[in-house]
Amino acid sequence: MSLIETTLQKLDVPAEQLDYAKTGIHARLSITSDQLQKICRTLKAAGFFLETITAVDDLAEGTMRGVWFFDHYSESSRLQIVIESSRDNTVFPTIGMIYPGAVWHERETAEFFDITFEGSKDSRGLLLPLDVTFHPLRKDFKRPKHQIAGIH
Amino acid sequence: MFESQIAPTYHLEPSEEQESDFILNLGPQHPGTHGVLRVILHMDGEYILTADPVLGYGHRMQEKIAENMTWAQVLPYMARMDYLSALSYNQAWVCLVEKMCGYEVPPRAEYIRVLTTELNRISSHLLWFGAFLLDLGAFTPFLHAFEDREKLLDLLETITGSRLTYCFFRFGGVGADVDATFLRETQEFLDQMRAHLPGYHELVTGNVIFEHRTKNVGVILPFDTSGYGLSGPVLRGSGEAYDVRVKEPYSIYPELKFNVPVEQTGDCMGRYLVRLAEIDESLNMIDQILANIPDGDIQAKVPKIIKPPEGEASMAVETPRGELMIYAVSDGTKIPYRVKYRVPSFANLSIFSKMARGQLLADALAILGSLDLVIPEIDR
Repeated sequence: MSLIETTLQKLDVPAEQLDYAKTGIHARLSITSDQLQKICRTLKAAGFFLETITAVDDLAEGTMRGVWFFDHYSESSRLQIVIESSRDNTVFPTIGMIYPGAVWHERETAEFFDITFEGSKDSRGLLLPLDVTFHPLRKDFKRPKHQIAGIH
Repeated sequence: MFESQIAPTYHLEPSEEQESDFILNLGPQHPGTHGVLRVILHMDGEYILTADPVLGYGHRMQEKIAENMTWAQVLPYMARMDYLSALSYNQAWVCLVEKMCGYEVPPRAEYIRVLTTELNRISSHLLWFGAFLLDLGAFTPFLHAFEDREKLLDLLETITGSRLTYCFFRFGGVGADVDATFLRETQEFLDQMRAHLPGYHELVTGNVIFEHRTKNVGVILPFDTSGYGLSGPVLRGSGEAYDVRVKEPYSIYPELKFNVPVEQTGDCMGRYLVRLAEIDESLNMIDQILANIPDGDIQAKVPKIIKPPEGEASMAVETPRGELMIYAVSDGTKIPYRVKYRVPSFANLSIFSKMARGQLLADALAILGSLDLVIPEIDR
């Protein structure tokens, strides 16, 4: 049995096996917010490393999908975790206490999408200037007009 | 572990309890940070209490740019992220689109891709070698490394047309075929590089000052690697033999015989030795490619307008700095709906705060150098 199958058994949440050759992802877990930290603890104990955290703003369906990617050093087993939420006041739990590297990914995702990572010890932005009030990766984002006179 | 990394705001005032501590602003224009990276250091004399990297000085919102371009127009932007390994980024993007659309790539094109990517990897490691030694105060190795790198850039320029920000790969192939002159010159470069490599070791590896500056400095324990998502030589210097080219093979890497260099020490010296061994492995790979490169087409027939079917996909490649993973969502139109770049330096830098704590300032610069950061890649 491959590593991803044994891990999915251990996690005990409904998983969707994807076509790896076409998508590059082995399995997808569609879960709810309260399951995330427990799953991440299991993954950390099983030796999975955090690849990235991001979000997808689905304007047509009115949802914000949080996306977490994990993989394993010893065997390719890319695992995608998806949490669907509303577009307004989106809140996801932090996994910074389990994966310390997640803090930066969460800071980036938070400022790009206007998402709150509940419980995070660091809510500062990361890549945008400290004083910005917009969230550029939201699909309804409109580019602000240039505020410096003379520069077009 | 957690608190050291985090401060609620960017503190620029020292605390009142200790009179000897002070805030030192490193960067954003410091030569030791290799780009516009700023680190706010809370110092106690020569020792670092906390280090807080400030990112974003080179931020261009590449992911938003990709949402306003066609799939083909995104390709030139790839080289602007990691300018030292532009071809790895080229490869990630074309492989991702080929995977989503199901395009086949002719074998000769695959060989040319890996040949040029590995040459690019050597040039990246050579620049790192020179710049890292420059950080440690040694000037001569820089000149040696750049002399060899210059030949590589000349070589790559003849077929890709540019010296640094290559945009050479195409969906379903490559932009130009290699000719007999290029292959001969590549062989000459291999011979020359093989002759020079022992000299690198003689000049640097056994040097007493270099050993004191790198051994047991900036140790990354295997325990920490998965928590921070490390990859590349930074990870392999800590004893984990993870290489995307082996674990998640793409292109013709399964056909090539090569080792994954691993060091167990986890210090700056370990990362240094891994990178030098990787130059050697890349040379071996190029040897095999030159012996086996097949004849044939270099470009498959692909539609003029690329419209990947609705859905999402990810593609991971091994850049000289580690695992680059691109995650893309397509809504079936000619413009990507969402593109996410998981860049290796970003994760590799995130462990810096933890490594720097309690270290001497001079050692922190050695650690920064040994991580092989490319800041525009982190900032995107």
